[in-house]
Amino acid sequence: MTTGAPPTEAAGPARAGASAGRDVVRRALSLLAPLAGLAVLLLVAAVTTPGFYSAGVLQLVLFQIGLIGVTAVGQTLVLLVGGIDLSIGAVIGLTTVVIAEHSRGDGERLGVAILLATAAGAGVGLLNGLLVVRRQVPAFVATFATFVLVQGVITAWTRGAPSGNIPGELSPLGIGRWLGIPVPLWAFLVVAVVAGVVLGRTGLGRRLYATGANERATALSGVRTRWIIAGCFVASGLLAVLAGLINAGYIGYVDARLSRSLDPNSVAAAVIGGIALTGGRGRIGQTVVGVTLLAVLLAWLRQLGAGAGAQLVVSGAVILLAVWLQGSGWAARSPRRIKQRDGVR
Amino acid sequence: MRIHSSTSRRSRPLRLPLAIGLTAVLVTACGTEQEGATAGGGGGGGGGASGEECANAEEAQASYEQAWTETAQQLGLENLEPTEEQVCEVDTAPWAAEPKNGETYRIAFAAQGPTNSWGLTNEEAFRQRAEEVGVEVLYASANGDATAQVDNIQQLASQDPDALVVVPMGDGITGQVQAAAGQGIPVVLCAGRLSDSSSVVSTVTRQYELLGSAYAEWLVQQLGGEGQVAVLSGLAGVPTAEYQKAAALEVFAEHPGIEVVTEQYTEWSPTVAKQVAANLVTQYPDLDGIWSDSGYGDLGVVQAYQEAGRPVPPVTGDAINAFLKAVQGTDVRFALSSFPPEQSMQCLDTAMAALAGEPVLDKVYINSPSFTHEQIDEYVRPECTDNLFVPSALPDEQLRELGLC
Repeated sequence: MTTGAPPTEAAGPARAGASAGRDVVRRALSLLAPLAGLAVLLLVAAVTTPGFYSAGVLQLVLFQIGLIGVTAVGQTLVLLVGGIDLSIGAVIGLTTVVIAEHSRGDGERLGVAILLATAAGAGVGLLNGLLVVRRQVPAFVATFATFVLVQGVITAWTRGAPSGNIPGELSPLGIGRWLGIPVPLWAFLVVAVVAGVVLGRTGLGRRLYATGANERATALSGVRTRWIIAGCFVASGLLAVLAGLINAGYIGYVDARLSRSLDPNSVAAAVIGGIALTGGRGRIGQTVVGVTLLAVLLAWLRQLGAGAGAQLVVSGAVILLAVWLQGSGWAARSPRRIKQRDGVR
Repeated sequence: MRIHSSTSRRSRPLRLPLAIGLTAVLVTACGTEQEGATAGGGGGGGGGASGEECANAEEAQASYEQAWTETAQQLGLENLEPTEEQVCEVDTAPWAAEPKNGETYRIAFAAQGPTNSWGLTNEEAFRQRAEEVGVEVLYASANGDATAQVDNIQQLASQDPDALVVVPMGDGITGQVQAAAGQGIPVVLCAGRLSDSSSVVSTVTRQYELLGSAYAEWLVQQLGGEGQVAVLSGLAGVPTAEYQKAAALEVFAEHPGIEVVTEQYTEWSPTVAKQVAANLVTQYPDLDGIWSDSGYGDLGVVQAYQEAGRPVPPVTGDAINAFLKAVQGTDVRFALSSFPPEQSMQCLDTAMAALAGEPVLDKVYINSPSFTHEQIDEYVRPECTDNLFVPSALPDEQLRELGLC
């Protein structure tokens, strides 16, 4: 089972064949809407912005996919267990500050700096997880609070002016290419494949989906759901650290804006791909399509000369559209939703 | 930061309200982002002289034009004309007063807060000048947010200071500024302005229009009056960005040979600027110049062109050490000026002059150095951090204490 259907939905042996068939149809349907959106977008971009299909723009899109994708995978994990992580932007910013402050531009200190940044990211993820599972704070509130907290820590620590530089040794992670493809994209692909395998092929993945679909029932069946939820927040924090390292390598400076951004792209990409905000449904493949769609969309908007305001409006509108479609359109027609509606479990 | 929430009468589709709430939070968070000193305002305008005849107009006007003349000289500009602006002298006799409390004056400072190195330097310079002139400082930080500053001004005014100096975070604070003035506290606006400044004694700031026009004139001159130009502004809707850009576009409009091919925002972020510039490289391969209001943005621009293996077009921006360090030893051509954080020193001086009953100008447009690539060696500070605004008026020892050098 790779689609997030909870174990309580397991079909009897006699219906296994029919169920497998429906599973394939369901998978196809779940990818159809974002893929159709991507196709339409590519067509509109071709018509409205001549030169969109140049090698230069393609490189930009591939880079953007890598940058957004790493955080989108973390966000997907959190969304699958019914949470949301708004602290990703703050962890990205914190990572660049830790790297600059500790390494002071010295490549020899980079290793320790990365370890410190990783610990910080894991710490923020753990704090989010504990707030959610131990204190039952809604993830939306808990992660927003840590977002503000981390911003405050950065400001108090650096007084708004981080000293130190990003070591040049980190730049291949941001601007390097391997086989002509930007390194950030490779990083995303590796992360996505690992996450996809864990979610689709392991017991941990099954427990994760079950936790997102119905935490109480899953906990009653003996699964340590709290560990799983907290683990997803920690994973998201760690992937935000990776995104922070990519960002630091890309620009080579501490960008004060990074820690102040709520990073809407990770949520937008996952939701556009069809990951349910209510948890338990969605696959990494959908996130990959969502990330691609969003990266193309942002590149197209930039080519059109749209400002940051327009980009935010479009990101917000696309989240709304995707959620609306999930709630009333294509997702409702999937076999599992029909069964749920009819009370068949 | 406010969080907008939505509710739905329908119980089933919980996802839509959640998404609306999420989107609102995202947009609100990004919309309230402040950078440097920001303030609203159509034409600035000190209130001291409003409704009356302009006092000592000739001398006041000459001091206003001086900043333009010096900038033109420093950048070698032939056609830099000051924008129309009436500057008058204010009679501060009604504000003249002995210290209300004890023997030293207590000056309230509603600061931006140390959200970036500009804010840090701005308040440290104020403190230093306060120490020099022997006054006590009542301090409040807005953390770059106008809503927080509304509370700050109320709290500061309630302590009945002798004068109030405000680094305005937006037009939203106008009511509190008027209320403070109504309480008999002389108010000086510092490093920014308000649309309605009729209640303040004086507005002390580097003029946005001067920066925007000077950068544009320098580019026009570099290009011989002909070529394609991209305009990279900071943050949409923020006065620091919008007034500079508007002034630049006016200059470009006067030169028919100059074509502004695109206007984009960099959010004063090197990361965003680099992505924007990477697009410029592919989309406008014949671009001749880049007008930018930010040295931080220029960092991204230079990297994008260098990584694409293309020559960097002439750029403009404010003088941040990171940019100078990055381009030292290269053939990048640029013109830089500054919105110096240390202007807070002149703000305090103006407040003290008002308390002494000495005449001040309703608009003190301060002067600060402008320079081009030819003078880079005079201004770059390799021993200091990237975040230092150069040249700094603070002593080296203090810069080291602040971690800026």
